[in-house]
Amino acid sequence: MDDLNQNPKLGAADRPNSYIGRSVPRERAKKLLEGKGKYVDDILLPRMAHLSYVRSPFAHAKIKSINIENAKKYPGVLNVFTIDDIEKVCTPWQGVLGHLGEMRSPTQYPLAKDIVRWQGEPVAVVVANKRAVAEDASELVEIDYEDLDAQLDMETAMDKSTKVIHDDLENNLFWTRTVNQGNVSEAFKQSHIVEEVTLDFARHTGVTLETRAIVADWDSSEEKMTVYHNGQAPHMMQSIIAKHLNLSEGLVRIISCDVGGSFGIKVHVYPDEMVTVAVSKLLKRPVKFVADRLESYSTDIHSRCHKILGKIGVDDKGKILAFEIDDLSGIGPFSVYPRTSAIETNQVLNLSAASYVVPNYKAKGTVVFQNKTPMCQYRAVGHPIAVAITEALVDKAANALDMDRYEFRKINLIPDNSYPTKTPSGVPLEDLSHEACIEKLKKMMNISELEKYKKESLANGKYKGFSIINMVEVTNPSPAFYGVGGAPISSQDGASIRLEGSGAVHISTSITEQGQGTEAVMQQIAADQLGVKIDTVRVTHGDTDATPYGGGTWASRGAGIGGEAVLKASRKLKENILNIAAVIMQSEVNNLDVQNDQVIRKDGGEVISLKDLAQIVYYRGHELPPGTNAELIATASFSIEGIPFVFTNSAMGCLVDVDVDTGLTKIEKFWAVEDCGTQINPKLVEEQIRGGVVQGIGGALYEECIYDEMGNLTNGNMADYLVPMAYEMPDIIVDHVTTNSGRSILGAKGAGEAGTGGAPGAIMNAINDALIPLNTQVTSQPITPEKVLKALGKI
Amino acid sequence: MSNLNKTTISMIINNENYDDITVETRQHLGDFLRDLGFKGTHLGCEQGACGACNVLVDGESVRSCLMLAVQANGKKITTVEGLNSSEMEIVKDCFVKNNAMQCGFCSSGMLMTTYEIVKSNRKYSREEIREMISGNYCRCTGYQAIVDAVEDSLNKINVGV
Amino acid sequence: MKSPAFSYYQAKDLADAINVKKTDDDAVILAGGQSLLPTLNMRLSNPSVLIDIGNISELKEIKVDDSNLIMGAMCSHSQIMNNKEVNEKLPILNKILSQVAHPAVRNKGTHGGSIAYGDPAAELPAFAVLVNAEIILSGSDGERIVSAKEFYKGLFETAINSDEILTSVKYPINRNGMKLFFDEVTRRHGDYAMAGLVGSIKQNNKINEEINLVFFGTGDRPNEAPKTCEYLLKNEYNYSDIKNTLKNDIDFASDISSSSDMKAHLSAILVGRMMKELN
Repeated sequence: MDDLNQNPKLGAADRPNSYIGRSVPRERAKKLLEGKGKYVDDILLPRMAHLSYVRSPFAHAKIKSINIENAKKYPGVLNVFTIDDIEKVCTPWQGVLGHLGEMRSPTQYPLAKDIVRWQGEPVAVVVANKRAVAEDASELVEIDYEDLDAQLDMETAMDKSTKVIHDDLENNLFWTRTVNQGNVSEAFKQSHIVEEVTLDFARHTGVTLETRAIVADWDSSEEKMTVYHNGQAPHMMQSIIAKHLNLSEGLVRIISCDVGGSFGIKVHVYPDEMVTVAVSKLLKRPVKFVADRLESYSTDIHSRCHKILGKIGVDDKGKILAFEIDDLSGIGPFSVYPRTSAIETNQVLNLSAASYVVPNYKAKGTVVFQNKTPMCQYRAVGHPIAVAITEALVDKAANALDMDRYEFRKINLIPDNSYPTKTPSGVPLEDLSHEACIEKLKKMMNISELEKYKKESLANGKYKGFSIINMVEVTNPSPAFYGVGGAPISSQDGASIRLEGSGAVHISTSITEQGQGTEAVMQQIAADQLGVKIDTVRVTHGDTDATPYGGGTWASRGAGIGGEAVLKASRKLKENILNIAAVIMQSEVNNLDVQNDQVIRKDGGEVISLKDLAQIVYYRGHELPPGTNAELIATASFSIEGIPFVFTNSAMGCLVDVDVDTGLTKIEKFWAVEDCGTQINPKLVEEQIRGGVVQGIGGALYEECIYDEMGNLTNGNMADYLVPMAYEMPDIIVDHVTTNSGRSILGAKGAGEAGTGGAPGAIMNAINDALIPLNTQVTSQPITPEKVLKALGKI
Repeated sequence: MSNLNKTTISMIINNENYDDITVETRQHLGDFLRDLGFKGTHLGCEQGACGACNVLVDGESVRSCLMLAVQANGKKITTVEGLNSSEMEIVKDCFVKNNAMQCGFCSSGMLMTTYEIVKSNRKYSREEIREMISGNYCRCTGYQAIVDAVEDSLNKINVGV
Repeated sequence: MKSPAFSYYQAKDLADAINVKKTDDDAVILAGGQSLLPTLNMRLSNPSVLIDIGNISELKEIKVDDSNLIMGAMCSHSQIMNNKEVNEKLPILNKILSQVAHPAVRNKGTHGGSIAYGDPAAELPAFAVLVNAEIILSGSDGERIVSAKEFYKGLFETAINSDEILTSVKYPINRNGMKLFFDEVTRRHGDYAMAGLVGSIKQNNKINEEINLVFFGTGDRPNEAPKTCEYLLKNEYNYSDIKNTLKNDIDFASDISSSSDMKAHLSAILVGRMMKELN
């Protein structure tokens, strides 16, 4: 049916109701702006109780005893629970998957059992009539700890003398993987030059402005658990809650309303959230847990925390012959359930050098346990590390050969006409455009002017540098990402779309909304494909009782996968509408089309509104000939087949000023060219890029979870953990190249990771470019003023 | 002296009188407003850093987490729900047009700061706008769209003319 | 996190506030609350009662005469920034206050609160020390004046007795051509500085006669640097010498924002900027 001439051509902006490709303002934006969004903390239910968690003050300690009696007696307290109570209703879990080789992570309990393994791990929970009262009583829970040695440093994790965190494992290794393509050692021998660098990346975290929040409401009359959760994957949570609380999956309903930012932080299973659900079941009443900001820093997943050694070999013409990396990462005491904490390192191995033709590639990744907050997937998983190490080495090689950095890239980038092909690590690639992107970027940046500006500035004692980088971005994952390994995570998404009696169109989608503009994008696709005005289209999402089954919103999959499902469902519905209209209007189907909420005859003449058509179907079905297929609802699903991911690519650059007195870096300009295929709403795409770039700037310059030698997080508050603020941020210039994905009709790829993945490498390279005249470089992120001054030998 | 942990207060919120409400003295204004149903006031940190909870007290923006409800006794409060002067309607339209919010959690606080900018009735450079909003966290947009929206608003409202 | 329970007392006047304060060691004065409330909301402090001095109108006055500027304790930072006379007579205050946090905090944060809290990273205490402002305290035995140089005793420690309330701060103006300097190094606008400097130079025929330096964000209180000032009267600015002299003057203390080495370095850089700007 895709060939039916009724299906509008994508991106044909001159026809009526052509919404795909237009920057239509988000309808929901006004509501959010007026404070009418509905976030989990806004939910009030009768008899709702509030939870406060008693958390471990130690990085590693034995729990000798817990005394909850005084806390229980505190006025307003309903109950206090420890693992002894909770494990009766909630089973433990293990953060391992089967598809990436052996992962060794022990059983994790919803509350600490016998031993605490990170500062912030929940040990007991107080339930009270108010949050403040629950906190008062939390101070009365007496826990006797015996301090144990904390294993904090990932670099010494595997030393014989290091404390092993889990007694049943012989060491602190969680996971390791190697990739070996070609013959790297031989290729290094044949290289004209070999360059090496070691980079490190601090731990950082997502800092969603709305903290994690959950309301669980056990209805014992129906044996039904309703959970309001500000998560990214409702059906995953449904499956997991049902499994661990021994509930019928169909009787677990997850509702995700408006979500105040997620960035991957809210796609994981958190012990305190599972306990909240368990408490609702135990007390048979609704309970609410909203993480406070201090809890967020010590319990939201952290990410990055890598040290990576990279090596590049090139011939005398500048052609890359070999590339090798060795990456070490520390993930906290447990691999996070159910996605595991191996994925970031796995992505580093997959994505390093992925924009370039590299005949010989070797990569090793090692992931170890630490007594710090668990680490897992956060926006642009693995990308910042892979891009930074690759682009640092590429710049070093170009500089060593005294070649222009742009020219060096041009001869090494995977040519635009060579797809399908594979990354140096062996992952399939298709439909990319590195050459077109870097070409466009070069023009936007006006590189010759930048060189001039750099020189003039240097003459005035100012150190300016710029960078150009290339990258690929993992989006629209297939079952190969998680499902194949055994996680209850759907790679398919569904959409159901119906025409209602009023003539309105209603979509329900398994994709959720966290601010990206899911609703708007789905409205645009449906209105475009159906031929209706966008304001007639409503969207339901984030409710497992009301939407088709699917994966949710993460890994930049909403538009590409969920959008395709909406497109397919819209086309089916349109086909049904036209078939019914053909009967009513006594016309050939091929002579009909839908425009502006009515079925028209292509050759002119009488029309029928969708409202009239719907009312005939619903209210006066007797007017239709018997046996007419009068379904005004259609459902479709989509998942990526045949390749593991739909890659996106981008080129980015930035111009920085490095103040060699203070060590402060000022980003003067930032440019990005992104190829995410079909852009459904270009404004929303650009805002994904910009927001992503600024989070990348956070990683590059500011963000860092700082631990002391005892394993205490010392800057776990908003004043001391620095994120980018408006004053220091540059304007970001965004442009596009469009290479549609051949995997879908829509052709859309994802765009949410690129900025965060690319900016750290772009910034580091620009700073190092500025530092060339001073004969030094920086290799550690965040690139703090202090690190710059140290590199300069000033402190 | 009074040794009560509770007290009774009255105030005007969005031009409506709220009289004789008993509050715990420890409750901050943000929680108090939310308990009354003004859910547009969002709590992002409760330590005065993020700016999401900004409201207007007697026409000036303040962090509602850094003010006790009892301190607002007798004062005039404006939450985002009451931010509907003709100027602020223009501001909101400009925010929508520029997609100057993604998740919306920072927006009410951002609007309060924008109110201060508009109130000062003068022109602002982009850098000055960035300086003014630098006490408001936004993790989604990267700020540029917000700067665009404020700039647009000032042009449309024709400030300082 | 929610604050622990406390009671609240709204003082009718100064005497009333002092009266309550002297009977309860755990009572705490609530001025603007911009530093106090975060500590309460994080349960880092546990007062018995907050004495709100927000309704005492005499504490909200700014008085100016020929030689002094008297700032009532409850004047907000915004109020001071918008005061025409302050901007004319002591324009550097506006420059300093524009670096204190952000608009919403400046609307509520008070001058007296900042001086009395004595955060070593804050700008205003350092400025008070630089010009040796008079800090006026009222207690059960009446009023007394402490010079700013004598006021700061240690980390968050001041000369305020438990039965006293800071009521105003008196700044000298028209200081015979004394030129003032303010600068700080922060990673983000409005953050506490990694290091900051307020300084002054008095010149006669382009010869420096008197130099004063007070640093903030560097130690446990506003840090004066007498040896460095003396050095600068006799010598040209030289980064290494200044850094060494500063280390003799100040016990630089690392904090979450930067190391003691970094603070010493930035302090020396700031002195260089000041000598360039004011000479």
